[in-house]
Amino acid sequence: MFKEKLKYAFYTIGHPADGFYEIRHRGQGSVPLALLFVFLFGLCFSANRQYAGFVVNYVNPMEINSFAEMLSVFVLFFLFCVGNWSITCLMNGEGRLKDIVTVCGYSMLPMILTFVPAIILSRFVVADEEAFYFIIMGFGIAWFLLLVLSGVMTVHNYTLGKTLLTIIFTFVAMLIIVFIAMLLYTLLSQVVSFFVSIYNELMLRI
Amino acid sequence: MNKIWNRLFYRKASGTLTGAGDAGRACGADGENGTRKRYREASRRTEQSCPQSRKAEKNSGVKRSSAAEMKKSCGTKRCGAPGTLARAAALAAGAAMLLWDVSGITVQAGQGVPYETYNYDYYEDIKYTPAAYVPDGIVTGAQIGCGNLAGPQDLNTDEDGNVYIADTNNNRIVVTDKDFRLLRVIEEFERDGKKETFSAPNGVYVSARGNLYIADTNNMRVVELDGAGKLVQVIENPRSEVLEEGYVFHPMKVAVDYADRVYVIAQNQFEGIMAFNELGEFLGFTGTINVQITPWEIFWRRFSTKEQRARQQLFIPTEFTGMEIDSDGFVYATNVDGEGKQSVRRLNPSGEDVIQKKEGGLSGDLDWRIAGTYSGPSRIVDVVVRNQGIYSILDSVRGRIFTYDHEGNLLYIFGGLGSQEGTFTGPVAIDTIGEEILVLDATRNLVNRFRATSYGSLINQAVGLRYDGDEVQAVECWREVLKLDSNFELAYVGIGKSYLAAGQNKEAMECFRTGNSKQYYSIAYKRYRNELLKENMGTILTSLIVLVILWMIWSKFGKKLWKKRRVSHV
Repeated sequence: MFKEKLKYAFYTIGHPADGFYEIRHRGQGSVPLALLFVFLFGLCFSANRQYAGFVVNYVNPMEINSFAEMLSVFVLFFLFCVGNWSITCLMNGEGRLKDIVTVCGYSMLPMILTFVPAIILSRFVVADEEAFYFIIMGFGIAWFLLLVLSGVMTVHNYTLGKTLLTIIFTFVAMLIIVFIAMLLYTLLSQVVSFFVSIYNELMLRI
Repeated sequence: MNKIWNRLFYRKASGTLTGAGDAGRACGADGENGTRKRYREASRRTEQSCPQSRKAEKNSGVKRSSAAEMKKSCGTKRCGAPGTLARAAALAAGAAMLLWDVSGITVQAGQGVPYETYNYDYYEDIKYTPAAYVPDGIVTGAQIGCGNLAGPQDLNTDEDGNVYIADTNNNRIVVTDKDFRLLRVIEEFERDGKKETFSAPNGVYVSARGNLYIADTNNMRVVELDGAGKLVQVIENPRSEVLEEGYVFHPMKVAVDYADRVYVIAQNQFEGIMAFNELGEFLGFTGTINVQITPWEIFWRRFSTKEQRARQQLFIPTEFTGMEIDSDGFVYATNVDGEGKQSVRRLNPSGEDVIQKKEGGLSGDLDWRIAGTYSGPSRIVDVVVRNQGIYSILDSVRGRIFTYDHEGNLLYIFGGLGSQEGTFTGPVAIDTIGEEILVLDATRNLVNRFRATSYGSLINQAVGLRYDGDEVQAVECWREVLKLDSNFELAYVGIGKSYLAAGQNKEAMECFRTGNSKQYYSIAYKRYRNELLKENMGTILTSLIVLVILWMIWSKFGKKLWKKRRVSHV
């Protein structure tokens, strides 16, 4: 079962239109697998920052925090999925949240596949060969973007123009979600600190 | 309850008291304890390798533990109202951290200098270093024996180390020898049989021939006197078609090259440095700084009305602030750069900037506070060209002196604002006598002297040797520098180069990596890679052949197995 799903994921990144259609309508996708891909991408992303060769690596090693990087990959992923879902709900999109998560997760597969060889290669390049590294990375990222675009288009049954529009709206929605979350956090922390100070006053005065 | 209260109270009281004292001493008025601690931790490696500061660490051990105590008391939430206060303080410190800055008048524990000495690493992080220069006394007018100086604006030294001070508000030039014994005071000169005096002379310069050039600002002229104080010529009232009608000449700073060409920085003259030939005829402008308008500014101007545009800031080039001529006759000139990218230029005879710079730019601090006291990029007011391509620039915002080598590497930073010996309130001019550095303070009317420590002179020496091409000798110096400061990246690069020259590519790679030089690392790695390939060619080819054979076997027999197990999934 898992093996078939995995094979199907590889089929999808080569045949996005067919693949994503089957995922939407014939249940060929798998959410756990998509999440696994996100996790693996987080790993690759962090590994790229840490293990990419000295010549191509401009990241301050003192500032690398693998956990925070993987967390931010996950947060962005969920923000995008939820944002896209909330926008497409209003814009006659046919995709379910499950489909969006699957699409986004599966789309990250090419990046996993290119980041690993790029990182390995980067350890053996010198200054004038670093272009190879950046080409491989760029290829993976471009593939990812195309997959997301065609995936969103397919699962929601949109035209290209509408897809681009919804993706722009998705980013707006993401901002709104972040804003509301921060608002909530600030207000809650005010409430908490209010109760904490009441408790402190009581403890110190009794 | 009483017991708890007592405990809390005592803890809090002692904590905040010592804490405040420590913060006051170690961090000045800024209370950015957390930040400092972080950086101190980062620079501990340095301090441990430096015997001088190790002693200092021992001395400051008490202080450090009390800082930790303060942190603890800040963190104790059960402190009640005072606790909230402490938390507020911690918050404020956090806010200060956000507006990260390298400002304030601070004392690094135990170094015995009233300022911070640090450098920026490859990632533009601050690394504290040992002091390269330490204060070596101050010189007031009374000590020289000519009465107090009043708002002196410029200072220059000649080859013998004689010091010339433009004592602006006293309308005179004070000349001393290198030990600041008074040689003479020039207050007047004879012109066409009449005695003439100066009026607010802002600049002074001694040419290679020993003639004295004085920018006599309010008299709108540059006066050239010979060694005996006799008038040679007066440059005044320049006329040319590139100058507007009725141009008023207010010379501020003056410099003279080996051919006796006179360069003048004039007030409100944004077109560049004014150049005059040896006869005092105006030649034209040199080193014009082009105005740079960002796309963002163009965008805003598009959408503003005529009235708004009239009220907006004019886009005018920045003014030059200080000048010096190097031994090749190139003009080093400083200017105010609002973006903090390039504040010093080296102008070739045709007026082009030929200075070498690194990514960090040439403008002093790379990091500064956005608002508040001591905020904004460094305002570079003067430059001194030293031996072997080393030059130092003086910042008046935070009173720091930044020293660069001819490639634009930042070598060391020292100096600060304040009223202690070795700090300034109004630094305006900088010059050297040998390795000694002199800084003129226009507000406190005195000259600050700095002498190089072993750390500073080792760096000077190593950079000098490298400039002269003697990289092998330089390595010895770099090793000594690393003993004092293991964070000094340039030293690793220097040592790495010698390994590279000796063909020890692996060691060279290690050094360049530590020194964060991608360029040289690449060279070393390329050689190392070729070496490895040559050595292991046999192994590589053999394993390739083996792999090919294995693949052939697999394709012959493996395919059958694969076909049986293959499941169609599409």
